[in-house]
Amino acid sequence: MRKYFSGVIILALLTMLVSACGGTTDNSASSSDGSQTSSEQPKDGGSLIIGVAADPVILNPNYAGDRVSLTIDQALYAPLFQVNNGKKTFYLADSLEPSADNLTYTLKLKSGLTWHDGEKLTADDVVFTIDKILDEKQNSMLRGNFIIGGKPIKAVKVDDTTVEFKLPQVSPAFEATLVQVTPIPKHIFENEADIEKSPKNNTPVGSGPFKFKEYKTGEYVTLERFDNYFGGKPHLDSITYRISKDANASNLALQNGEINVKYVDPQDVATIEANGNFEMKNYSEGRLSYLIFNQKSDTGLMAKKEVREALSYALNREELIQVAYTSADYADPAKSFETPDGLYHDNNVTTYDNDVTKAKELLQSSGAAGMKLRFMVSGGNKAQEAISLYVQQKLKEVGVNVEIQSMDASAYSNKFTDPNAADYEMTVGGYIMGFDPDAYSILYASGSDSNYSHYSNKEVDELFAQGAGEADDAKRGEIYKKLQEKIASDAVIYPIAYTKTIVAVDKKFGGLDEAVLKPVVIFEDPSKLYQK
Amino acid sequence: MKRLIVRRLLQTVLLLFFVSIVCFILVKAAPGDPVRSFVTPNMHAADIERIRHNLGLDKPAYIQYFIWLKECLTGNFGYSLVNHQPVLGQILDRLPATAGLMASAIALAVILAIPMGMVAGANRSRWVDKLVNMIAYIGISLPLFWLAILLVYFFSIQMHWLPSMGMRTIGKSSALDVIKHGILPCSVLAIGFLTVYVRYIRSSTISQLKEDYVQIQYAFGSTKRNILFRHVMKHVMLPVITLLGMSMGDLVAGAIVTETVFSWPGIGSLGMTAVRGMDYPVIMGITLFSSVLLILGNLLADILYGIVDPRIKTTR
Repeated sequence: MRKYFSGVIILALLTMLVSACGGTTDNSASSSDGSQTSSEQPKDGGSLIIGVAADPVILNPNYAGDRVSLTIDQALYAPLFQVNNGKKTFYLADSLEPSADNLTYTLKLKSGLTWHDGEKLTADDVVFTIDKILDEKQNSMLRGNFIIGGKPIKAVKVDDTTVEFKLPQVSPAFEATLVQVTPIPKHIFENEADIEKSPKNNTPVGSGPFKFKEYKTGEYVTLERFDNYFGGKPHLDSITYRISKDANASNLALQNGEINVKYVDPQDVATIEANGNFEMKNYSEGRLSYLIFNQKSDTGLMAKKEVREALSYALNREELIQVAYTSADYADPAKSFETPDGLYHDNNVTTYDNDVTKAKELLQSSGAAGMKLRFMVSGGNKAQEAISLYVQQKLKEVGVNVEIQSMDASAYSNKFTDPNAADYEMTVGGYIMGFDPDAYSILYASGSDSNYSHYSNKEVDELFAQGAGEADDAKRGEIYKKLQEKIASDAVIYPIAYTKTIVAVDKKFGGLDEAVLKPVVIFEDPSKLYQK
Repeated sequence: MKRLIVRRLLQTVLLLFFVSIVCFILVKAAPGDPVRSFVTPNMHAADIERIRHNLGLDKPAYIQYFIWLKECLTGNFGYSLVNHQPVLGQILDRLPATAGLMASAIALAVILAIPMGMVAGANRSRWVDKLVNMIAYIGISLPLFWLAILLVYFFSIQMHWLPSMGMRTIGKSSALDVIKHGILPCSVLAIGFLTVYVRYIRSSTISQLKEDYVQIQYAFGSTKRNILFRHVMKHVMLPVITLLGMSMGDLVAGAIVTETVFSWPGIGSLGMTAVRGMDYPVIMGITLFSSVLLILGNLLADILYGIVDPRIKTTR
């Protein structure tokens, strides 16, 4: 009997061992850099292989939250519209107009739209999609965005190509909410009790430039050209998303030509560039990487503005970028909490630039000299570990002892999001919040579940509330400028950088600028890509 | 023999029950929360609670266990918490890839290990033995993922002989294509198994050669080769059978590292993803599935023992 048990125990231990290496997911989408026109004439035909790091979780835009599903959905389902640097590009929609009182938005769809199976795409599908997002039984993660002040946004069909959205109160951020919506087909899902569990998600019917062909679990997802795409017939015959979980192995596959497009880490750029077959594209991710001061910490010190200022004075942003991202090419120095792609972004705010003497003085006067500080990092995350070691060394110079607490990724994310965690002072964070600054209120408004630094300031709360309901663009801009300055001068966080994504693209392929490189999903409109 | 099998099968059911409890406790005790995998900062605490409730994760752990057990007995092993597809279907989807890879790797390892181990054992301390030992020790101390990357670098990137990843060329489905993709992962795994098998077979050969029957054969004038492959080999097979029985679990659990490096769409990589997402129905499904095979493999080994070595039948 003994040998069976030992086998069983080994299995059990294996489960435990593997449970120790957790992971976190990326959230939200937003917009990116500008575009140029190229001189080459696009050709039809050819197929593109994009390397992805995991299986898609679910190919249904109402539920997709992981990077891979979002990337595939971008080609499979057309969005209503997209926003890049404040400029709207319409896809399924033709126009979106607010009423005079800003309480109703009228969405006009293009005419003659069809789903991949030939059925008509109409206002019914849009209304159906919104209704299902709002349906509490359907578990859509987008639901919260459609509730304003405790009341839901209502979608009403006017005619086949017109939908009216009725808002419970004025909310200029509504466009940023709607940009995340991608209609799902009513005729496919209307009789499904639980859309999330529906087997119909395994053979998705979309409206984007490419339609579903086949999915081999653990291997690849292939999409093929949809000839009736409203934006014109796509150039490529097919796009395949090849699943490769090991970063080293997929870099080799890229060099071997088995993958044409892939995210690349800064430290691998030189190796892949040396191959000569790839164009390296770095573009802004619309993401801020920053240090958090946990104001709930039980030492009470982080709640003091002088202490946060002092710690900021002790650090050097340029060095920090060098340490974490290897080069300034991959990260722009950040001062504001809002990313540059956002509305009213202002990087001319108060900063506490490296000044060791001032740091020491402030620590002395606030009674925090010689303090001990716990810095939480997610073990195995190289950028976080590098940042924590740098901070430890820099703070030593001003007499602050940093104890680095490395923990497993899921334990880390539990503590990071726990509103009552008081046993650490600092950690590293990052976020992508989209283009409307109202989205940031959940990070900085008092009592919000996602206020990770546990900052509380009545003035800030009020400004966020005003900004959310202000329809006048100029006034709204003033409010958010004030907010950015207030949070910066309060040293709520230490903004490190607006990070960039690096994508390697095989030189065989063109049309990258027309397809628009976009954070998370790589290409906004893959129909424009072509093989040279 | 029949009684043995029946008794063992009954024990198996009990054992599986025990395995499922231990596994459930371990998964639940690990840090992390399945709901976290679909939480975005834009979600309010109330939304998160609602989803937790809809998934039944707000119930006490023992009730969750019984709900899972009920699902199990109805045959579908529950639904994944992450992609909401039935667990059994996901495992069965991946089973052929893993079983095919593992079976060929084990077979390759056994075929190579038997002559290598026996020749080494028969020529103890001579150069053949030293060579085999060296190979075994190098093999056992090599990290397999590193070996895998090395092989890919040489055979795919430099020589362009073999594909570096996946199980088939996109859109193609021919057996030859799958075999071509399987050569590298299969070799890596076979090296892993081989190094273990060789050392067992070698030491078993050495001890068998000291037995009386070998001396008698010598006395009758048999050649060394004859003795080795006619008589000793039969006895040497015994530890091999045990090893094979123990490998049955691997047959479905897969090799997490090798499957991940080669993007082989097997159960190992499914399990890895499940563990990352704290997707306990999938983790439990895989554990149970491989436990069943492990236990059955051992039972089979015992039965085979009885056939190869009749003495065992009477003592058990």
